[in-house]
Amino acid sequence: MLRLHLDNIYHSPAYLGIIGFILACMTLATFRRVIPARLPPLRAVKIEAMPLAANLAVRGDEATIRARVEDFFVRGGWLVRKRELGGIEWTFADKFNWARKGVLIAHVGFVLIAVGTTMYWKWGFSGQTAIVAGLAQTIPETGARFQLDRFNYQIEPIRTKSGIVYQPIDYVSQLEITGHDGIKRHLTLRVNHPLDVDGTLYYQASYGSAVDFGVTKDGRPASGAPGAALLEGEGFPLGQTDRSVQYERFVGTIDRNGGVSPDPRANNPGVILTVFDGDQNIGSVLVPLGRSLDVGNGYRVDVGSYTLYSGIQYRHDPGIPLVGLGAFVLLTGLCMSFYFLPARLYVRVDPCNDSPEDRPRWSIGLAATTVKGYEIFEEQFAALVEALRHAQSGHAFQAKPSDPAFAVS
Amino acid sequence: MNTDQILIVIAISAYIASALALFTYFLSRENVAKLAGIPFAFLGCITQFVELGYRYESSKIWPLTNLYGSLSLFAAMSVAIFIGFALRYDLWFIGGFVQALAAIFLAYGLTWNEGYLPAVPALQSYWIKVHVPLVVSSYAAFMVACVTSVVYLIKYYAEQNVGRSSMVRLRTAAAGPAGAAGLQMQALAPPRPRSIIVGDAPNLERAAAGGSALAGWLASFPSLAKLDIMTYRIISVGLPLLTVGIITGAWWAKEAWGAYWQWDPKETAALFSWTVYALYMHLHTRNAWRGLRSAWLSVAGFISIMFCYLGVNIWISGLHSYKM
Ligand code: HEM
Repeated sequence: MLRLHLDNIYHSPAYLGIIGFILACMTLATFRRVIPARLPPLRAVKIEAMPLAANLAVRGDEATIRARVEDFFVRGGWLVRKRELGGIEWTFADKFNWARKGVLIAHVGFVLIAVGTTMYWKWGFSGQTAIVAGLAQTIPETGARFQLDRFNYQIEPIRTKSGIVYQPIDYVSQLEITGHDGIKRHLTLRVNHPLDVDGTLYYQASYGSAVDFGVTKDGRPASGAPGAALLEGEGFPLGQTDRSVQYERFVGTIDRNGGVSPDPRANNPGVILTVFDGDQNIGSVLVPLGRSLDVGNGYRVDVGSYTLYSGIQYRHDPGIPLVGLGAFVLLTGLCMSFYFLPARLYVRVDPCNDSPEDRPRWSIGLAATTVKGYEIFEEQFAALVEALRHAQSGHAFQAKPSDPAFAVS
Repeated sequence: MNTDQILIVIAISAYIASALALFTYFLSRENVAKLAGIPFAFLGCITQFVELGYRYESSKIWPLTNLYGSLSLFAAMSVAIFIGFALRYDLWFIGGFVQALAAIFLAYGLTWNEGYLPAVPALQSYWIKVHVPLVVSSYAAFMVACVTSVVYLIKYYAEQNVGRSSMVRLRTAAAGPAGAAGLQMQALAPPRPRSIIVGDAPNLERAAAGGSALAGWLASFPSLAKLDIMTYRIISVGLPLLTVGIITGAWWAKEAWGAYWQWDPKETAALFSWTVYALYMHLHTRNAWRGLRSAWLSVAGFISIMFCYLGVNIWISGLHSYKM
């Protein structure tokens, strides 16, 4: 199994350093860039110089025209604000102004997640234990006592196109658990259904077969035999010799030719033992249960019966609610900033210089900016200008593009 | 053939028919071809969902526990997302690519069909009904975004090439009689575009006006800015899906394995792809990054998605590898 061996990364100074660095960068970026770029102050712009700009010439008195402009935007759901800047009266119309904060909210979510994971690093713990059926274990960090009353697994042979597959369907631990209150509870633990005991979660992680081994020398019991059944991967030294034996793995079914059958169910079980001489591996053998293996110098290893054991993982993580909240906030921020296009229109109404005295003409100049550039708003802007012209209708006699880069008509 | 297989054959055939018609539309811009392709796109997609539903109903086994099921959903979702965007933004012209890819992925998925295999205990959770469809749908969205980016890149580089070759002509002409150079100059002076999103491939338009059929065809693609906006919009659908997908995956991992993040290869690859698209979103706010660089990022993002999806499943074993 290829793992990137970063499991303990939360505990490394490098991880903390990276989190700290990212947080510092985000804070800096947020204050230096995001806030100024996303929440620009209401200020005057050079309308003609903007890529999205238009100019409408209208007739009428100034107050009415201004009122109509304002009414047009308010009815369209725009947030309208007026400011006098440098002696000119500006009208600012904002759409989805609140969505400008989406980016900030996304970053807050990110910070919450970082804080949540750091809480685990500071106050959380995790570990694993294996309990042989009939025996009990006490979890060192919590003091909870787990006794495995029974362990069951279900594996089904399924015929697929490429042959029979032995598919694990279920594995279940029947436990007697004693928590802080000292009350014994009989509970069932299965995959995907962790148990919460005093704020620590326990998970059904794996299982295996523990096997009893005996050692004899010249037919008599010898020292070195393990006191308890061994789990897969464990081993023991052989009396006074340099040799040791490792219980490599359990084999459910030994086939007729003495080989390992793909059926993992315990039909004709055996174990694979590896013998070491010092550090040197001198070979592996498949030994059926109830038989013994001659390991030299008169020593024999007797392979006894097996008992199932349950592999349980546990984890106490006080940061989970915060990580959950952070994920939600992050997502809300993402949706706000992706699906809404905050746009700002800058509108000013100026007298037309070439207008005859008796028929005052005004030009409505408007320009637009969005947080996602100009291109994405161009079509909407054109439609908006059209609608504005309509709203002033009867009074608009000519629309002249203020900038050849954008034509209104 | 059982019902299952008949439905799959119908879906693949519909995708092929629709791919051919929409490719014809892509090449010829004949509306007839587009109108012929659309019903087949719908047919294939609907048949696939019916097939997935039928499979679940008849076996009571959630169909997304192996690569076959998830590739089926991937094909169906990419067509569904494409249809959604095509209806809204008239994106049918790229349909040939999407339909062809859907047919290929579905056919490839069939090679992983082992029949009905019940789920291992770790996969027996309601989360599989949330996490997998979300992630696979995000992959599908990124696939469609990759197609629009590729079309962008084709048009962009064609525009550059035409521009470069006319520069060469200009230089040759400038070396000749002064009068001729003056004329060429005038011809090459770009007309001021009327709009910022239309007419952003002036070289192609000029070459098309000069009689080049290829240039005419390329010029008839939507404008570069529009393709860029389209890619942005599709990624805006894909990234939140991937984000929720990763979050639900982490939540599920917490329930099944006890830790919401274990840096297994799938998680790491998904996080990497997520970062590429988050980067896309960040950089797309910069003028200099919209367009060409964004298009390349979207292509790179999809390559990383393909690695995360198929590469990790097939080549690397990890906590997610039972998905095969
Ligand atoms: C990993 C979690 C992060 C997420 C989900 C995230 C999300 C976003 C989003 C959605 C935007 C707006 C893009 C748009 O408007 O379309 C944004 C902008 C921005 N982000 Fe992040 N971000 C993350 C991390 C960071 C980090 C670590 C930094 C700094 C080192 C950063 C710096 C910025 C800056 C400077 C902008 C503004 C760009 C601009 O408008 O000029 N972000 N972020």
